[in-house]
Amino acid sequence: MADRADLAFLGARRLAGLVRDRQLSPVELTRLYLERIERLDGRLRAYITVLPEAALASARRAEAVVMRGDTLPPLHGVPYAVKDQFDTAGVRTTSGSRILEGHVPTADATTIARLNAAGGILLGKLNLTEFALGGTQQFPFGQPRNPWNPDHDPGGSSSGSGIAVSAALCAASLGEDTGGSVRSPASFCGVIGLRPTWGRVSRHGSFPLSWSMDTPGPLSRTVEDAAWLLQAIAGYDPNDPLTSRAPVPDYPRALGDGVRGLRIGIIRELTFGADTEPEVRDAVLAAARKLEGLGAVTEEVSLRLVPLAGAIFMALADADGAGVHHRWLRTRPADYDQGTRRRLLTASLIPSAIQQRAARARALLRAEMLDLLARHDVLLCPTAHQAAPPIAAARAAITTRHEAAGRFFTRRSYVTPAALAGTPAIAVPCGFTRSGLPIGVQLIARRFDEATLLRAAHAYEQATDWSRRPPGTV
Amino acid sequence: MSDLTTTDVAALAAALGLPVTPDDLVEVTHRLNALVEALAPLADLPLETVEPTPALADEQPAS
Repeated sequence: MADRADLAFLGARRLAGLVRDRQLSPVELTRLYLERIERLDGRLRAYITVLPEAALASARRAEAVVMRGDTLPPLHGVPYAVKDQFDTAGVRTTSGSRILEGHVPTADATTIARLNAAGGILLGKLNLTEFALGGTQQFPFGQPRNPWNPDHDPGGSSSGSGIAVSAALCAASLGEDTGGSVRSPASFCGVIGLRPTWGRVSRHGSFPLSWSMDTPGPLSRTVEDAAWLLQAIAGYDPNDPLTSRAPVPDYPRALGDGVRGLRIGIIRELTFGADTEPEVRDAVLAAARKLEGLGAVTEEVSLRLVPLAGAIFMALADADGAGVHHRWLRTRPADYDQGTRRRLLTASLIPSAIQQRAARARALLRAEMLDLLARHDVLLCPTAHQAAPPIAAARAAITTRHEAAGRFFTRRSYVTPAALAGTPAIAVPCGFTRSGLPIGVQLIARRFDEATLLRAAHAYEQATDWSRRPPGTV
Repeated sequence: MSDLTTTDVAALAAALGLPVTPDDLVEVTHRLNALVEALAPLADLPLETVEPTPALADEQPAS
């Protein structure tokens, strides 16, 4: 068995195996993560709420089940944590905002109930940009920091979910991805981040941003863990009428099938575009070559509307968000972070003609993507145009419209196409910058074809060691 | 669409009952103008015949 320091980085499924084989006590494992949180999180600020007593009580119950010899669920005894956007019965759920700092739900979100039923032990609630919007200037519950360099942004909006997995402050985590909020922190923090097909996972009990794009998704140390977490949370939920009734495949079973013959389209505009930094482009192209070496067939493809995807997304998702926040924006404006308030105020003023045009352009972009995906099994591009930027850059005041465009639209154009099209996408580590920050490659697949997505990501992950390197600062 | 001024934005916000402070007003104006400008190329696309439908949950599950 790995030594104590390495245990925390093993990943959820391997830890579950050790628990099942009685080589590792869930109580010992939970204490290990609680000790790491105590030691490291004062600086990283991944957590808003830690639940030591409840987690240890769950761990003791899990241990008793193991000792009785009962059949164990797949994640039995594995400590996990969730973005504080998901309701947890009896545990405050802030959505990263002072407005909800005293909010204590009476029931679990569907995803939380399903992760608990799969044997997970809830360690706590994770930090996020306020109301999962992005652009928070002053985090009400502490500035989240990137484990690879604490002066840099961990990505958002599931910031704590990325940090906690990267720094091994939990075995795996749950985030929520409206327009990149799982994949961006995964890429910046050097872990796996999966956005499932919209409709594959219930949104019930998660604070909304945009009804047609919000999608819970796992962040994990391995692709196998992402498959197991998706298996646990996927499927129809009568509490979310927009979840699909399509059967849930056996995701872990297809992982080892390789990529021989898989057709992969490299999205030209995002991979070779002027906004993509050369280090990112080179790492992503090296990932494409690696997949070729494993038997995939690659070719460049074009998505002409992709450069506009970030702006299209903001015209639609932010307008949805303005509707969600209609009342508080008028009655409690000073309780929002300045960045959140200004983003929501702007969204409240978007002319309806522009929203309508953006909605039509979304449908066109989606048709382009589905057409490409009819001819390719997977699309490939960078997860972001750059590695994690300094925190100070995100906090600087916006003094011109060009600064606003650069900060809000450019980076979102990399992660929003999958959100606008409702397709699944995954971020996988594919290298490091010269300054030691992680770079992520993004794979996108057909709607409800997470199995192919995970298979391709797994094959790449197994052929490289990028995701096995722990951050030097922890 | 021509640029909105801070006066325009303040008037729009007031009409909608939005409490935009003088501190917020300049940045909100930049953000709104940036969005309008970024989406201007959409005016050149043949969008009239495209229905503005979002993704639907049970559409095209993988076989």
